[in-house]
Amino acid sequence: MDKQKVAILWLGSCGGCDETIVDINELILGVVNSVELVLWPVALDFKYHHIEKMADGEIALGIINGHVRNSEQAELAHLMRKKSQVILAFGACACFGGTPGLANLRSKEDIFNWVYREAPTVINPKGVYPQTKCNIDGKELTLPNMLESVYSLDQVIDVDYYLPGCPPPPYLVLKAFTAFLENTLPAKGSSLASHKALCDTCPLNASKPDKIALTEIKRIHEVEADPTKCFLSQGILCMGPATRSGCGETCININIPCRGCFGPIEMVEDSGAKYLSGLASMIDVDDEADLQNISTQVRDAMGYLYRFSLPISIMERKKL
Amino acid sequence: MKENEPKIVCFSCRFSWGYLVDEDDIYAKVENWIPIICTGKVDPVHILTAFRNGADGVLILGCPEGDCHYQDGNIEARKRINLLYNVLQSYGIDKKRLKLHLGTDPEGKTISSLVKEMADDVRKLGPSLKATSKQEKVTT
Repeated sequence: MDKQKVAILWLGSCGGCDETIVDINELILGVVNSVELVLWPVALDFKYHHIEKMADGEIALGIINGHVRNSEQAELAHLMRKKSQVILAFGACACFGGTPGLANLRSKEDIFNWVYREAPTVINPKGVYPQTKCNIDGKELTLPNMLESVYSLDQVIDVDYYLPGCPPPPYLVLKAFTAFLENTLPAKGSSLASHKALCDTCPLNASKPDKIALTEIKRIHEVEADPTKCFLSQGILCMGPATRSGCGETCININIPCRGCFGPIEMVEDSGAKYLSGLASMIDVDDEADLQNISTQVRDAMGYLYRFSLPISIMERKKL
Repeated sequence: MKENEPKIVCFSCRFSWGYLVDEDDIYAKVENWIPIICTGKVDPVHILTAFRNGADGVLILGCPEGDCHYQDGNIEARKRINLLYNVLQSYGIDKKRLKLHLGTDPEGKTISSLVKEMADDVRKLGPSLKATSKQEKVTT
């Protein structure tokens, strides 16, 4: 029987999601023996035109990491959707837009202005911008067009499964491959990680008091955090309550609070908004002035609450 | 002129606002009036959804301090709204577009004028901006 074809594609990506696949170490040999890899730009020499020549649905599993921010990424996402039976959004960028999603707080024009003209280290006397088309020595050169916003994968194509994380940990990658190979993937639309919040599996959960009543909020570098106590109980913001579990608490285990890279919990539309409600309930301040004061102690609320998920939040981007 | 009329979404708690009259009377006078059981039920998700759907302002009418039927729902609402201001600012939404007003009005006679007052404040800020001025093609 012919092996099922699997493609791994990166879009707006840092490479970490491809790295995590390699991090399953020698077990990758078992995976590549069980399938026919037909695309993996970072690792293998297949080209996009090989994919274009395939029949629709010829690829059994298309794994896509990275967000969509330019026209080439959008085209490739559509190509993969056409040629694949199942699409897996792999990693925080594909699932939620990822950290680069914070670029949605600026207009494309602002970004270009800064990067190509105004940043202190730029030397660009003619104020040149990248163009989608230009003529050099009678030849036309083209570049993809940068879109106005950062998009998650499912804002561009239909996605069948989600594997969150920045990056997803190797054990979950292996679990996903195994489920695919053994044909035990859950219902379409599922996230291939826990349905519960990080607090559910956090080793510090047992130390949480019955009631958290904060009168001030501290930043992790301003204090010596007690590694045996829940961060929130110490007044240190931790996104655990609003973040899906499954990462193995790699940050918690090195005494760093969760930043939310596994994204919203099952059926939550906007993790930042939900977190705000939870945080409000932990604040024990009634006086209006004190309340405004503690609100200012949440420095860069947007960057903290929506670090990985701004493109899929209710507002999606800053209004222009 | 009508098009520029600010759209205000008004969540109002049934325990202090308009509980003596028929809901239909208030629905007739106040556009986008949403009676709720307690301001403690209003989540940032609801407020953001209102802005997402084109609201120029969100007014939340709650019970006076100390009078919340559920003890501290109005206090929780106040805390959430204060935290939400930070986020709204980053989204480019002025603080003045979200307001919590605590008080009581059993016949709900002042709801309409409070909404109008909010609309006047918000009108000075100009219309609420849209997320992107042009729809870019990312889907087939």
